[in-house]
Amino acid sequence: MAMPRIKIDHNKCTGCRHCELACSLNHAAVANPRRARIRVFHEGNVFFPVIAGPFVDAACTSKLDIKIGDQVYDMCLLCRASCPQKPFFIEAETGFPLKCDFCGIPPNPSCVRWCNSGALELIDD
Amino acid sequence: MYGRTGRCLRVNLTKGKHLVEEIAPELLDKFIGGRGLGVKVYSDEVDPQTDPLGSENKLIFVSGPLVGTGAISGASCNVVTKSALSGTIACAKMRGHFGAELKFAGFDMIVVEGRAESPVILSILDDKINIRPALEYWGRSTSETEVMYKENLDDKWAARETHLVSVGPAGERLVPLANVINDGFLSVGGAGIGAVMGSKNLKAIAVKGNHSLLIADGDRFVRVVTNLINKLNSAPFTSHSMSAWGSAFFIDLCYQKGMLPQKNFQSAAFVDSKDIGTEALSNTFALRSSGCFACPIACIKKTAVNYPFFKGKGMAPTYWAIGALGLNCAVRDMATIGIAHMICAEMGLDPIAAGGTVATAMELVEKGIADRDSLKLEFRFGQGEDLLQALTLMATKKGHAKRIGKGGQALAEEYGQSKRFMGVKGLSMAAFDPRAIQGMGLHFATCNYGPHHLYAYTFIEEVLGVHEELDPLTTEGKPELVKRYQDMAAIMDSLGLCNWPLMGLKFNNLVPMINSCLGTEYRADDLLRIGERIWNQERLYNMKAGFDHTHDTLPERFLKEPIKDGPAQGQISKLDEMLPRYYELRGWSEKGEPRAETLEALDL
Ligand code: SF4
Ligand code: SF4
Repeated sequence: MAMPRIKIDHNKCTGCRHCELACSLNHAAVANPRRARIRVFHEGNVFFPVIAGPFVDAACTSKLDIKIGDQVYDMCLLCRASCPQKPFFIEAETGFPLKCDFCGIPPNPSCVRWCNSGALELIDD
Repeated sequence: MYGRTGRCLRVNLTKGKHLVEEIAPELLDKFIGGRGLGVKVYSDEVDPQTDPLGSENKLIFVSGPLVGTGAISGASCNVVTKSALSGTIACAKMRGHFGAELKFAGFDMIVVEGRAESPVILSILDDKINIRPALEYWGRSTSETEVMYKENLDDKWAARETHLVSVGPAGERLVPLANVINDGFLSVGGAGIGAVMGSKNLKAIAVKGNHSLLIADGDRFVRVVTNLINKLNSAPFTSHSMSAWGSAFFIDLCYQKGMLPQKNFQSAAFVDSKDIGTEALSNTFALRSSGCFACPIACIKKTAVNYPFFKGKGMAPTYWAIGALGLNCAVRDMATIGIAHMICAEMGLDPIAAGGTVATAMELVEKGIADRDSLKLEFRFGQGEDLLQALTLMATKKGHAKRIGKGGQALAEEYGQSKRFMGVKGLSMAAFDPRAIQGMGLHFATCNYGPHHLYAYTFIEEVLGVHEELDPLTTEGKPELVKRYQDMAAIMDSLGLCNWPLMGLKFNNLVPMINSCLGTEYRADDLLRIGERIWNQERLYNMKAGFDHTHDTLPERFLKEPIKDGPAQGQISKLDEMLPRYYELRGWSEKGEPRAETLEALDL
């Protein structure tokens, strides 16, 4: 069965963070990137949208570096987990972990709908 | 309160103290926020005769109510003060992510007062407000400051979310041409503001926060914003041209209409725009799009250059940078223009003001009025190395900063040649020849912030013909056009919206977004009326600061000498045909003073 999924193209992302707000408006009914289940990081001139994955209460014991082109990135940057090392995807007030729930099908998860650059795309496998 | 935080942070650097205040709701009703609020608070609190670099002067950073809410292109933060270059009121438009972060940090506005003993950085991080010593940052370029500041923060993840506005060496040295720089973006239209920030010994402001902004009618807001994104996406300029090249794509269009200045506005013709247009831009730089907060257009083109004598990362040149730093100095090499633009960002110089000053010096030398010995630097038209050297030295070397950094007007006056300074109210012209684009000419003469095209986007009609196609060479309907676009820019800046989306949609299209966000019931006319109130408020301030109708003019060259070459050959600016009608439309006397009944109707 075809499974819709979100494809992320880092080369297209402009770092506008409209996706973060789409998510926070949809789930928290306020504008606040820290309450979004997608966050956009940047390193050098490249932006990395990261969609919230599982919540873990211990950090990894191994550190990974990833090489893309001639740049080396810290795996933590791209990792989807929220952990004590990377305090993202946690509700500031409640400490409640946030996870992407693939909202709004049909037609599109809200972040995809507002991403105008084509960096986020809904595809069917 | 919807959209806004309603709070203002008042920082007194002399005393090293700060205070959190509520912003009076009447002020927000009348002046909205952003530029309007900043100008109102500034004019109420600061004597118009004040010395811009004195400690009594204040510096205001203010984000509009739509900034950070998810409204399209709601990214604009304004910096209001009195310009150290012109003595008029000044208002820089900062894009990027600083403005939104300021709102998330819980403030609409920061008012900076007094002067610190020694260099400091103001940090507002997760509700902790500190004024920290910053001696080790003094003298550093804006990008170094940003990197160093973030490296010094203990929490590396928090550092990723912190946004800075800073001054470069030019601002520190009180060079009047200096501007403020945020997130590595050059602020627009802020010549003279960097020196004010430098005079306060304030190197930078850093913000980060966790606060939420409330939206009045979230469901409707999300629907309206989605529609607007789709609209922008189906309009050619906003979906393609701006996204591919940024404003640099105007170069080809303006070239065809003969409105590109060359050699300090002495000529308008180029052999071929291939050297300096979009083709050259794409061939010279690897462009990467970057958007301001919540902007679907993403007109900012980031790039990196790697030459033996200059390495750096930054913004690829925009239209006004290519015009002011390139064409007007007769420099045609795109790589040199790009480096000049990056030097401006690193040093904290305003590209239009700095380019205009260099062009003035070049003309003085070309005409044999000044020379290498008296200027202590080479200034030859078309010589990229002269340009680059002048930009670097005017920001870093004391003597040069005094001589060249004081700006084109002061330089031309020193040689008794004021007519060779191409600018109005002490500020250099943006790169449109007013003889070939009459509406823009009228705007240049009357703008409260000097001749800058981003305070009235009349070229959207006069060059691009987006909503109505207007002949740039005629004066018919131009006073109306200029007034409408001036008021529109004033209200959009106050709301915190970037003006570029107007290339893809009408102002009316934005009204439902504004209302659903703020819980208001404005009609487009109501908003334009508030824009008009803001424009008049600025005018009143400038009048008290010593500006009157005699300053609403253009350099003699545009009024008397026809364009020598190119498609608009033979044209002069018909300013005197348009100005009386403009005053009349504004409800001002023939002397350009707002009439009592006009002010009363605007509730001023
Ligand atoms: S909306 Fe799209 S382009 Fe903008 S930051 Fe998110 S993923 Fe990147
Ligand atoms: S159009 Fe350009 S300047 Fe305006 S908000 Fe978007 S990216 Fe920023």
